[in-house]
Amino acid sequence: MARASEDHGYSVNQVPPATHLLVSSIQHVLLMVTSLVIPILFASQVSGSPEFTASLIAFSMLAAGLGSVIQSVGLPLIGSGYLYPNVCGPSYFSLSLSAAWVGGLPLMRGMIIVAGLVEMAIAPIIERLRKVFPTFIVGLVVAMVGVSILAPSITSFFGLAFREDAIRTPDMLVGVFSLMVMVLANLWGRRFAKMYCLLIGILAGWILAAILIPEFWHDLVAVKDTPILALPAMGAAFRGITFDPKMVVPFIIIAISGSLKSFGNLLAAQSISEPTLEETDFAPIRKGLLADGFSTVLAGLLGGMAVDTSSSNVGLAGATKVLSRWISVGAGVIFVILAFFPRLISILSMMPKPVMGASLIFAGSFMVSTGLRQMFSEPWDSRKTFVVGIAFFFGLSTAFLPSLYARAPHFVQTLFTDPLPTATIIAVVLNQIFNLDTLFGRLRRKQK
Amino acid sequence: MGEQALTSVRSHLEPGRRSRRRRLVLGVALALLMILVVALSGCQSRYEALDLTMYQYRDTKNLVKFVYDAARILSEEGLSSLAYFRSHRARFDTPDYYLYIYDVTGTNLYHAGMEEMEGRNVWDVTDKNGKRIFPLIVEALEDANNPHAWVHYSWWEPGRFYPVPKSSCHFKVATPDDEELIVGGGINFPHEEQEFIRIVVDDAVELIDRVGPEALVDIADPVSEYNYRDVRVFVFRRDGEMLISPAINSTFSQTNLLECADEVGQKPFVQALEELESSDRVWEMFMAKGPYQRRLIRKCLYIREATLEGEEIYVAAITDLPEPPY
Repeated sequence: MARASEDHGYSVNQVPPATHLLVSSIQHVLLMVTSLVIPILFASQVSGSPEFTASLIAFSMLAAGLGSVIQSVGLPLIGSGYLYPNVCGPSYFSLSLSAAWVGGLPLMRGMIIVAGLVEMAIAPIIERLRKVFPTFIVGLVVAMVGVSILAPSITSFFGLAFREDAIRTPDMLVGVFSLMVMVLANLWGRRFAKMYCLLIGILAGWILAAILIPEFWHDLVAVKDTPILALPAMGAAFRGITFDPKMVVPFIIIAISGSLKSFGNLLAAQSISEPTLEETDFAPIRKGLLADGFSTVLAGLLGGMAVDTSSSNVGLAGATKVLSRWISVGAGVIFVILAFFPRLISILSMMPKPVMGASLIFAGSFMVSTGLRQMFSEPWDSRKTFVVGIAFFFGLSTAFLPSLYARAPHFVQTLFTDPLPTATIIAVVLNQIFNLDTLFGRLRRKQK
Repeated sequence: MGEQALTSVRSHLEPGRRSRRRRLVLGVALALLMILVVALSGCQSRYEALDLTMYQYRDTKNLVKFVYDAARILSEEGLSSLAYFRSHRARFDTPDYYLYIYDVTGTNLYHAGMEEMEGRNVWDVTDKNGKRIFPLIVEALEDANNPHAWVHYSWWEPGRFYPVPKSSCHFKVATPDDEELIVGGGINFPHEEQEFIRIVVDDAVELIDRVGPEALVDIADPVSEYNYRDVRVFVFRRDGEMLISPAINSTFSQTNLLECADEVGQKPFVQALEELESSDRVWEMFMAKGPYQRRLIRKCLYIREATLEGEEIYVAAITDLPEPPY
């Protein structure tokens, strides 16, 4: 058992004492719980019954929990070995929904398995791409990981349930209060307050929401009808796995995009966990991507929603300097156990939206600044200015102007989906183009 | 030597003092929080009697609360409260909603945003489509299916010149002066609530039961309550033949509704009719193209069964569903 040092909570391979391990794992679980909004939203979009919703959440939690353990426990061939839990992934949400509309849950499961296999196939290729990912592009990717959670974090922070609805003052108060408690506990707090700043902020925000928002109590009363302990029911909707050739291409594209996002998360996890590394170590990244793909396949097999890597949890680890991978294992185990306690899941998923938003902003801020710091850590030149600038413009445009790309030719729609994959692809391609002169120069010198 | 000893004692005492101070601050903060919890848990919401569970959007719920508050003031203070409303126009003409008060003959007593309307009778005033708004308000207030007396029409904003879609809710108030007044509030560019189509379809079913085939003329009338914005109550037979089309003002183009599919190939009418065998009303979700953007959006169909001259027919309407925030 290790003691936390003043500047570093726990390093990546340290095993924290049991109490710290448990509380830190719970802190990460609370952040992972925010992703349960994905299966809840999915079930509402396919008009699923309460039993369907409960089972979908449970299967998704099982996949995410097992995925987190595989990712972090330190297996020889698979898993990054970083504090890097899995959550229900927003990247796959719309495509999973389209699959469910066309062929029900069996088709969604089949296509998720295909996507997972694609991610697993990409993993060894990533290692060969080390030359196209110089440090400044890695920094850009990490910053864009933070940017990519902008929409869910801000809409949750303002307590929005539907697009274009009114924002309430109590929601804003809860969001601001919760975020301030998290940040101030992190800045001014000492060991425990600093380590558990997110947990403290969530609890403080939750209490304030219970006081200010009456609907919260109404929702809580409804929880009493949910069973305390239950096995996820494999209802008729969950039986069978089917495939549709027409959906293979969109799922391959989203799998590539998901792999790039996980790649960015893994780079961020590595920057935070191993700050002394002078250049990227691609072995844990390859193993991490393999684990991510495997977890996605597992989600399809189990009947849950596709799982994804969690940028917010990496951000939390960085902000608190509690980096032990065993916390991710603990969080994964708790997530698996929670899957069998529907009442607890219901209570946790009732975390007030502004508190969820505050947690995501807290974690996202760290990702953005880590990425920017890494980006500017090496000497700068005009080439980098244009690579990063143009990638930023087009990457961020997918968030600012999503309707613009909805009317674009199909190949453009495929490329311009989300700030992270779009900025990454553009930066990599432009970096190669803008350095053609140096490449030709080298070739010419060799010929001479 | 003495100074050194004093510094040493101070350095031993300071952490203790700091810790005591921290505990004190924490204790005070917790006590304040507890007082707040106890104080607020004893409070009762003034909206306890108001059921808003049928609405999905906050804007809609807030408008009903806004009008309900004004109705309470009017029912307690009567006509004398008009002076209060007139002296606080800005409070009752917000960027989101506005308030108005009429007597039952249609004479305006107060309009928060359009002062020039006060004293004028609007019984025969129509919107740009020919919809007579005030008679519809009076009917809505008598309608048991429409607990907050919703009326949908087109109007404009004060000082502007373009049509604005509106939805208004109303309460009838008996004042201490023995007057019967109508207090209402409108929202510009309203959200499409599922409750709105529930009301018009349920009303249409009752009308068919009450007056038979003549009801179809009223339901198809573009200026009746059954038609607003993109919503249209339509009627069809068991075999899918349309009596009132969901999309156009005639049935010259006979499409069999049972053969119609949504954007992902599902047949919502077939599914709905199957579900209607075990239920008297059905909400069926389907996918449609969103306006301007070519992405898909969710819509829903509300269908009820009715009997027309001994034949089973179906009455339905379609509306948009709320979209996730991102």
